[in-house]
This record gives sequence, C-alpha cells and structure tokens, in this order.
Amino acid sequence: MWKSKVWNLTLLSTILRRRPTLLSISHFQSNSTSHFPPTISRTSYFDFLGNPNFPGKTFCSESAEKSHVHVRCWSCGNVANGSLFLFCDSCRSIQPLDQSVDYFQIFGLERKYDIGVENLEGKYKDWQKKLHPDLVHSKSEKERGFAAEQSARVIDAYCTLSKPLLRAIYIMRLEGVDVDEEETLSDPELLSEILEIREAVEEAADSQELNQIQSQMQEKLDHWSSSFANAFQCRKFEEALNSIRRMTYYHRVNEEIVKKL
Amino acid sequence: MAEPAYTVASDSETTGEDKSSSAFPEIAIGIDVGTSKCSVAVWNGSEVELLKNTRNQKMMRSYVTFKDDIPSGGVSNQLSHEHEMLSGAAIFNMKRLIGRVDTDPVVHSSKSLPFLVQTLDIGVRPFIAALVNNVWRSTTPEEVLAIFLVELKAMAEVQLKRPIRNVVLTIPVSFSRFQVTRIERACAMAGLHVLRLMPEPTAVALLYAQQQQQAVNENIGGASEKIALILNMGAGYCDVAVAATAGGVSQIKALAGSTVGGEDILQNMMRHLLPDSEILFSNHGINEIKSMGLLRVATQDAIYKLSSQTSVQIDVDLGNELKICKVVDREEFEEVNRKVFEKCESLIIQCLHDAKVETKDVADIIAVGGCSYIPKIRNLVMSICKRQELYKGMNPLEAAVCGAALEGAVASGISDPFGSLDLLTIQVTPLAIGIRVEENNFVPIIPRNTTMPTRKELAFTTVRDNQTEVLIVVYEGEGEKVGKNHLLGYFKIMGIPPAPKGLPEINVCMDIDASNVLRVLAGVVLPGSRHPAIPVMEVRMPTVDDGHGWCAEALDRTYGSALDLVTVQKKI
Repeated sequence: MWKSKVWNLTLLSTILRRRPTLLSISHFQSNSTSHFPPTISRTSYFDFLGNPNFPGKTFCSESAEKSHVHVRCWSCGNVANGSLFLFCDSCRSIQPLDQSVDYFQIFGLERKYDIGVENLEGKYKDWQKKLHPDLVHSKSEKERGFAAEQSARVIDAYCTLSKPLLRAIYIMRLEGVDVDEEETLSDPELLSEILEIREAVEEAADSQELNQIQSQMQEKLDHWSSSFANAFQCRKFEEALNSIRRMTYYHRVNEEIVKKL
Repeated sequence: MAEPAYTVASDSETTGEDKSSSAFPEIAIGIDVGTSKCSVAVWNGSEVELLKNTRNQKMMRSYVTFKDDIPSGGVSNQLSHEHEMLSGAAIFNMKRLIGRVDTDPVVHSSKSLPFLVQTLDIGVRPFIAALVNNVWRSTTPEEVLAIFLVELKAMAEVQLKRPIRNVVLTIPVSFSRFQVTRIERACAMAGLHVLRLMPEPTAVALLYAQQQQQAVNENIGGASEKIALILNMGAGYCDVAVAATAGGVSQIKALAGSTVGGEDILQNMMRHLLPDSEILFSNHGINEIKSMGLLRVATQDAIYKLSSQTSVQIDVDLGNELKICKVVDREEFEEVNRKVFEKCESLIIQCLHDAKVETKDVADIIAVGGCSYIPKIRNLVMSICKRQELYKGMNPLEAAVCGAALEGAVASGISDPFGSLDLLTIQVTPLAIGIRVEENNFVPIIPRNTTMPTRKELAFTTVRDNQTEVLIVVYEGEGEKVGKNHLLGYFKIMGIPPAPKGLPEINVCMDIDASNVLRVLAGVVLPGSRHPAIPVMEVRMPTVDDGHGWCAEALDRTYGSALDLVTVQKKI
C-alpha cells in the first residue's frame, strides 16, 4: 500500500494539481501584500496514498524563522497571531496551503509519537467545519481552491496521525529520516517469522483461528509501537526504523487476515 | 494573468452551466425523487419546510402520464383512479431504469410493469414506451424524469415566488457514476442545476446531525460524538450508512446499498398470488395490462395492511375469468420475501463491519423510507443492533428530503443566527473505483468508503515482452470480476518503450476533487528514469455514453488480453 518512489507520485499529482497551482500563482502576482513566496503553492499537496511526503527538515527550520515574520490574511490583511494559519479568525477566509505547518501543528499537538488519538476526531471535525470545500461554495474560485487543498491536507493529517504506523513513519520523516517501505527483508530471523505467520494465516481453518492470529499481531504491534516510542524519544533512529519495519510486516499480516475474514 | 477571452464547458460536463454563484445566492431546494414517491423541501429562513402541491400533498407519486400530446406528471395530475396509472399510459419507477442497460436484471424485472420495457439483451439502453391511443409511444427514463422535474420546479416556483435553478438531489448509494450523469442530464433537461447529489442515508445523517446539535444547544444531550446507523429503504433501493456525528459535523463512516426494495416485495407477492403472472402479461395487450394493474393495486394494498394486521384477505377479479381469492398471513409474506430481508440484513452487517463499529457503540438506529413500516424490517435492524427501539425523532417519509433541503441551504452559503445551519457532511465514496487487469479481474484503486476528496495511486506493469500499449479500462463497483461492475470509461496508453514484461511501471492515479469530479491519470516510467517515458494521460470520467454494455464486449473482442496489465506485486 505504501510506495517509496515518491518522485513518481509527485510527478502525476503535480500534473493533476496544475489548475489550482496556476490560480494561486496568479493570485500572488496580483496581490503584492501577500507574504507567501509562490514556491509554497507550487509544492501544493502531494501527500496522498497515505504517503506523508513533505518538504523535509530544511523547510521546517525555515518555518521557525518565518514565524517571526507576521503572516497576513490574503483577504482582509489581518495579521495572524501564532504560526498556525489555515484559516483567518478575523474574516473567516481560508488561507493558501502552507506546507511548513506540520500535521502535529494542525492538531495543536506537541511533535511526539505518543499522542491521545481519542481527541483527534473532534479537532478534525472542527477544522473541516472551517475548511471543507462544501462550505465555501459561494466564495471565490480562488478560495474554493484553498479549501480543497486545506481540507484534503487535514484529512491526510487525520489519517496519518490516527494510525500508529503511519504516524511513526511521518514523525521520522519530520526528523529527516526517510523510511523505505518497499525494501527487501534482510533480517533472516524476521523473515522466517513472517513466513511462518503467513503460512498460518493461509492454512487457518476458520475465522476463530484468524481472529486469534489477529490478536497476536495486535499484541506485537502494540509492543513494537511502544519500543518505537522509546527509541524515537532517545533519538535512536536505527532502532526506531527497526520497529517501523516490524510494525509494517505485522500490519500487512493483519491486512491479509481482514481480506480473508 | 489575463482572463481567458471565453470559456467552454467541458464536454463531459452534463449540466453545461457555470458553477460560480452570484453575490446573493438563491437557496437551493432539496428534492427526493423516490422510485414511487417524491417530495420537495426548502429552508424557509428558520426551518425546513416541505412544499405541497395544489392538492395539498407533500408526497407526490413519481410518474408521468402520456395522454394525447401533453404528458403530465404526478405533481399536477389528478388521477381519477389508481388504475389510471396502470393503464399503460403512465411511466413510473424511472429511478430503477435510469442509466441501466438492457442486460441488467433490474431492467428485466421491470418488464412486468404495466407499460412497455423492451430489452434486446445486447447492452444498450432499454426501449421504454407508454400506450397513447393504442400506440406505444417511445420515451426514455431521462425524458420521463425531466418531465416530472419540470412539474416539481413549476410547483416550487409558484410557492416560493422566485425562479428555481439550484437543487440538491438525493440518490441511492448503489448508483454508479454513470447513473449519476444520467440524473444530472435529466436535471439539465428540466433547466435545473445540480448543486449536489447526496446518497439518501447521508441526507438523513445530516438531519440527524442537526437534531443532535439542537439537543446540545438546549442542553438535552452531551456534546460528545454519537454514532448512528441509518437504514433507508424505499420502493427501489435499500441503503445503509453509519455516521459519526459531533458538533453538527456528520462524518460518514461507511455506506452500503443495493437495488432491493418495495418493488421487489411487491413483485414477489404478485408472483406468489399468481405464479405464472409474468407469462400471462408478457404480450402487453390492453386486457393484460388492465389485469396486471388490478393485481398490482390489490397486492400493494395487501402489503400495506400486513404492516398493521397479521393476515389479510385478497379478493380481486382480474377479468378473463381470472380470480384471486386468498388469505395471506404475515409469516407467509415474510417467507415469500425472505431473500429481500436477508439482503437487507447483509447490507447492515457489511456497513457496520466496514465502519469498524461495534453494535454496542451505536447510539441511535434510524429506519426511514416506505419499507421501514414493515415490521420485519424494523425487527431485523433492531435485532442486529441488539436494541429494543428505533430513533423516534424523524418522519420516515420526510427525513431524506429534509436533509437534502438542509444541504441545499448550507451549500448555498446561507447561515442561520441560531446556528441551525452550522452543519457539514463529510462524504465517502459509496463504491470502489479501479481498473481491469489480467483475466478480467478488478483491482480497486480508490476503495469504497474513502473520505472525499481523495487521491490514490497504484502501480501496474505489462504482461508481455515488448508490450508497447496497454488498455486502461475503468470500472466502479464491488465485484472481483469486472463483469459485475459498472464501466466508466477506457483509454489506451501507447508508445511504451519496448522492455521485458514486468519492467515498465504504469502508474494509475485516481483523483476525486471537491466537486466530486473523477479524473484518471496514467503514466509510464522505466526503471532508472525519473521522468515519464511518454506524456501522462489525464481523462475525466465517466466517458462512456449510452449503450456502454456493448463497449466492454467490443473491447474484449477487439483486443482480447493483448493489451492487459497486472498489478506490481508487493515484496514480502
């Protein structure tokens, strides 16, 4: 399900988003009060496929500098308080996509792996109530474009953060560590374990057996999820990557089981 | 950037109208065009109001009668008797016929209706006709629906004293994107602009979201998230949704739907009462149509009665020395329709499963639509959810149209000082969308129940050495084989650089944007390259026209498996 060849995906989606991109560029040319460099709009939304792709470390540090610059609303010129600026509180206009705002910031969370997933849905709905394209039907085409991109990004953010594995991969990428999900398995111990489990899944006689394997997988996932959390906190990225690898394989087994159930 | 001198509506755009709105938006009206009945509602500034026709009816029969030269529909027309609708001159059940081809079993089951439904069984649009002065006058489901919509439009314009252009329409969950274009076409023919099409149970979910929001404002309930299971079963379709509602936002978790409803129950009962009825009526003579009409009315009547009483006496003289005199009890009725009820059950179970929701987490069970009056339907939904009662806050026949009217107001940018329109529905894809691969298998790219807008991509490759062309055939549906799904369109990728099979990477990307427009992109990349080998194709779907049942077969005949592709296998 996850693809590593980001450049491919980027390519197709860049072509697809041609129109909104053109739109936002024309906006930047016509509106000199805007403080957004056009490059931000050109890097518009390309994290689909549950593939959290984003400009990376350099861009993030840029955003830290940028937070000193006052960001102005493109519509009413109001200066935003705080760095998070998806939506203008003053005139309720949706702002152009700012890739430097990461998923954790969108949800008002500290950038750490252990987050309370239960509160995500509420915040997600709050954002959608402000950003969803359905609600800006009567606004300008420009703002409808912003709404589509912002809303899609909030959906991605929600999906990514609410799933432990995707969240782990995402937070690693925020640290500049790329996770190759398509790499071939080199650890012989893990390989034989996985093959064994797969065989068990294939030979499972009934749904009860499958459920049993599934709960075993869930236990393993929970275990490796917490070891990821530890490794990540201690910035032991090699160990963290190992945990992600484990989680990826157990997750795939779960997918197989769901298919069979 | 200079403004373009002029713009041309996209050819695949069915409405041909520009989508930008004026500074003062008109409030879009909500229309629920049911298989059997239809209603219109609008936000009146403080609440949703159902519009009534001149005969003070809120629910109008969905049919069009062709008499002399002027067709007239169930909005304005006064039937002298129920049987007039069954004389051959009236066309109804448009919603079961629209956008279907003549090989579709649903079309075939419509052949016992008291007007002409003719099939050639070759995958083209069925021939339908009404009997006018002993002549079968041909028409199309789109035309019939458009005539009906024109009447609805005129009725609303008289009452609201303003021209009506924008509408929100409810549609069944199981409608394919091709069927949706046919609905949009009918609306365009009637001079209506479709602001939004809502799957019926999601309209009900929106109404529920508003009711929950009001309860929170009045401090009746908590502000926490509530999960509702919604079953909407009318004459033509059975739809299920699971929605998670909080703060006026309704996130659809899963949808499930099928073409099964009151019409099937009615036909099963007619067959039960008169086993060889279909053969008897197959030649569509005037007398046969009359008999068929009599049987239909009597059976319908009996089914209604069985909702409140445990047995019913049916006495009907069909003419030609054909008399039916029979007592049917509820148990017998339930046995005759066992398959229908089983289908409903499986849809509810599937929807709960897809939503990953346990029955204990369901806060409210909402059963709406005409069939929700049938005791068996009420019981089965309650027993699946292990509950003793259903949600009581809605009129089962008005819930969908009220939701559509709310959406109409929200989508028109209307706001309410009391926050009654502080609402949003986050929709999901009702059906998977994917492409055909080797051996006519269907590979979904956007799975069903994906939150929209969305974009997904999958990698495929060639099946033959030096294969320079592949055929991308896009389908929508749940079948593992493409034959069970709806064809949306197709295009060919040409000029793939010659390479051993399995080497070129063909990326197929599907995108559904905020206006629910589907685009399919396909590009070819060779290993070691960072750029597409040939220009990427971008196609707006659906591209198929009527008679699309033919296309799939023609493609198969012409190309066989020569231009096949396969999914790139995941490494372990």
